[in-house]
Amino acid sequence: MGNTNPFSKLLKNAALLLYALFALFPLFWMILISFKHDREMFNTVFLFHPTLENYKVLFSSNEYIGYFLNNVYVSVGAVLVSIVVGVPAAYALARFDFKGKENLAFTFLSFRFAPELLVILPLFLIYQKIGLYDTYFGLIWVYQLISLPFIIWILRGYFEDISPEVEHAGRVDGYSWWRVFLKIIMPLIKPGLVAAALLSFIFVWNNFTFALLLAGQGVITTTVASLKYISSDTVHYGQMAAAVTISALPEVILALLIQKHLVRGLSMGAVKG
Amino acid sequence: MADIALKQVTKKYKQHTALNGVSIDIKDKEFFVIFGPAGAGKTTLLNVIAGIAVPEEGVVTMNGKVVNSIEPEDRNVAMVFENYALYPHMSVFDNIASPLRSPRYRQPESKIKEEVHRVAKILRIDWLLQRLPSELSNGQRQRVSLGRALVRSPEVFLMDEPLTHLDAKLRHQMRAEFKEMQANLNTTTIYVTHDYLEALSLGDRIAVLNEGRIEQIGTPDDIYYRPATEFVAEAFGEPEINLLTAGIVRKGGEWYLNLLGDSDHFTVPRQVKSVIEELQLENVRVGFRPKDIKYSFTDDSASMLRAAVYSFEPLGSKAILTAHAGGQLIRLIAPADLEARPDRPIYLKFNVDEAIFFDERTRRFIARAGEKGGRFVG
Amino acid sequence: MSSIGKSGETVQIADLAKDRMDTYRVPPIPFMRKARPYLILAPALLLTIGILIPFFISIYYSFTNYSFKYKDYSFVGLENWTLMLKDPSFWHSVWVTGQYAIFSTGAEMLLGIGVALLLNQETRLAKALRMVLIFPLMIAPVIATLIWQLMTNNSVGVIAHFLRSVGIDNFVWGADPKTAMFSVVLIDVWVYTPFVIVLVLAGLRSLPKAPFESAMVDGGSAWFTFKTLTLPMIKPLLVIALLFRTMISLQEFSIIFALTRGGPGDTLMSLSLTAYNEAFTYKELGTALPYMLILWIFVYIVSHYMIRYWSRAQKNASGS
Repeated sequence: MGNTNPFSKLLKNAALLLYALFALFPLFWMILISFKHDREMFNTVFLFHPTLENYKVLFSSNEYIGYFLNNVYVSVGAVLVSIVVGVPAAYALARFDFKGKENLAFTFLSFRFAPELLVILPLFLIYQKIGLYDTYFGLIWVYQLISLPFIIWILRGYFEDISPEVEHAGRVDGYSWWRVFLKIIMPLIKPGLVAAALLSFIFVWNNFTFALLLAGQGVITTTVASLKYISSDTVHYGQMAAAVTISALPEVILALLIQKHLVRGLSMGAVKG
Repeated sequence: MADIALKQVTKKYKQHTALNGVSIDIKDKEFFVIFGPAGAGKTTLLNVIAGIAVPEEGVVTMNGKVVNSIEPEDRNVAMVFENYALYPHMSVFDNIASPLRSPRYRQPESKIKEEVHRVAKILRIDWLLQRLPSELSNGQRQRVSLGRALVRSPEVFLMDEPLTHLDAKLRHQMRAEFKEMQANLNTTTIYVTHDYLEALSLGDRIAVLNEGRIEQIGTPDDIYYRPATEFVAEAFGEPEINLLTAGIVRKGGEWYLNLLGDSDHFTVPRQVKSVIEELQLENVRVGFRPKDIKYSFTDDSASMLRAAVYSFEPLGSKAILTAHAGGQLIRLIAPADLEARPDRPIYLKFNVDEAIFFDERTRRFIARAGEKGGRFVG
Repeated sequence: MSSIGKSGETVQIADLAKDRMDTYRVPPIPFMRKARPYLILAPALLLTIGILIPFFISIYYSFTNYSFKYKDYSFVGLENWTLMLKDPSFWHSVWVTGQYAIFSTGAEMLLGIGVALLLNQETRLAKALRMVLIFPLMIAPVIATLIWQLMTNNSVGVIAHFLRSVGIDNFVWGADPKTAMFSVVLIDVWVYTPFVIVLVLAGLRSLPKAPFESAMVDGGSAWFTFKTLTLPMIKPLLVIALLFRTMISLQEFSIIFALTRGGPGDTLMSLSLTAYNEAFTYKELGTALPYMLILWIFVYIVSHYMIRYWSRAQKNASGS
């Protein structure tokens, strides 16, 4: 922008700080509270004696660790399945030309928009009939609606960026198609794959609705478990805050890792980062 | 070391026919050039020979064996790609070594090291072996691409416009180097280009490809002196050949050409006359290369055509002078320091003995006087 | 003169030089080579079919009176659909859904574009914040709801504390029909504004400098430059941001569910909440499905046209 007026600069910085406050203060406060002992909860707001008590309680009960692990299993599983299915699909969309290609591509994209409940209602029925209700696999399958579109749409762009000539060179050099794919193409899309996997992981980890309604007592994830804190009259606000902090921590860290590829991922490959 | 042959090969991509009934016979150890403008189908042709593309119709043979759909990795061909196609994540050394590490053509590591260094030294890139392709200039990448091919002992070398993306000076230099390399290659080589100078200087034989069809196959002399079609004549030569429609005028036992209204000065050569007679033509198309047209600013010789200067382009050591007469533009070569103002009268003398005659309807070669250029095929 | 040679056939081709017909046998294309493209696409296709099955099942059951309470069910044709369309609570839920989507998406777009413009500077503050402002997007909406609930908790919450100190004593947020919509929209905006920021910022940072430099030479206010230069060039990204936010906020469930379960009363009974209620509280599947199916049809059609619009906007943006 053209203005170098110091007043407008001040105004701009103030506005930015105001939004930053809005966005980050809640998180900051959460972390703060998690170190606050129940005793001091009602007294002072910011001044208190920090304690690790809340975290200790959380980790000593196997319950919370169990929820956390459930989240890990289901999220990692979902992303792995999406990679196995999505990588070849993205390659096919990038390289092949066939009737209905863009329709197929749009179908993959539309999974992301599918209303959660529209999918849940029939699956609630089906899962119980075929025994997938309240199982890891059941959730991993549904989660494909979230993670698969990311993988396909981000990687399609990366595959399209690789010139077909490079593949041909590998073939002529004496490598079969599969070897070319593994030795030459995969290394070239690795950054995109990592970004797509991490982004999918984040959104799958955060899922609430599928985990709530298609799983019962067997597979409870941290997001679903947090519901207990909302509705209950528990006075253990500190533990609640600790649980939230631990639950949110992985994604925040991951977000920092994929900074560069974030744009490409969030816009589903529409924009290069 | 192989004979390669294509017989009636057709390759289609959706609506577009890239190759249409193409037949070529390439002899063992020949340096065969495929020449054509952009979109002619040259790369498709190479892809069909390499096995990257499978033709819809026709037969591709290597040493007599039909190889239509054999996978590229099983054909033992080496290819240099137009955009080099280097592996971005591998060093120059690993790029060049790549074929020797493949399941098909594997060599022990010690031999690989030896070969890569040998080739790198010949191509003067031995000091770049640890770099990545992104750290190289265009010319260097081109050499790495060459190195990756030269490290092999294939049945045939395929080269897709290797010099096209180099700047003019580098291109001239590399052309000379290629000429030297060509003599030492001792392997069938198929070289694709749209630069006619490369074609004429490097090829043992040239195939001219246009819109998926072969226009002509022949030696450089064939192509230049006896072009099978007007397309071929126009493609080879700078400035472009002058093609004029001329009527046949029979006057007093002699046959004259009615060139741009002048039917008194230009006789039809004897050898050509018999062919025209046989075909019973009233009009012909005559091609004059710019260097075969003499000029004068005074009307002093008997066989001069009156024209006027249209434009004058000095190009360093020589110049292109364009004259107009009878509504046509005629290009000829002149010294760069000539004084030629537009509309200045100029008198042109056409060397009919060097002219090339084409059929007006089919645009195909009929005859020429003189013995230059052997028989053509196509 | 010659005949064609397709794979697997025997061909006769004239050899002009030797003046005879040669016979060649063209071997068929190896199976692996032919099958490869299909093998590559197979897993995704199978999965897609697997995922589409529930959709078709939904459509099927919407024409029945299936209930989780009983084992038998029968076809009722369009009854569920017509009853729904006549039901005022359906239209109320459409109204709630629309309100939610418009308010949250609108606020997110405006706020997102504004913050992105501010972040596009090269000050230290902007550069530091660019990394960090995405964090809310990484928080699960349910967790975000929890956080905001805690912050506004009357006994413990910092915001409640703050409001009290300026004299506002009874802001009940979710429990009050008048402020419930505001509360859920606030949480949605908190979580999803960074999405718009990231997209718009990426667009701004990829703009070519030349047109802006010549605009500066020509003289013109910042607003004018924004309107005629910036806006058209980032339009494709704005369309994407708008598309995604609208489609997703139309079916948002977690936030409303976590905060009030659709209450107080039916203040926040969006289409998703109503469907949930119908299916899991009243245990009726046949009547719940049309609510979601109607939403899905709407989302599908709108996204289809918006994607077409987007690809056209992309071409224009790169051309200008």
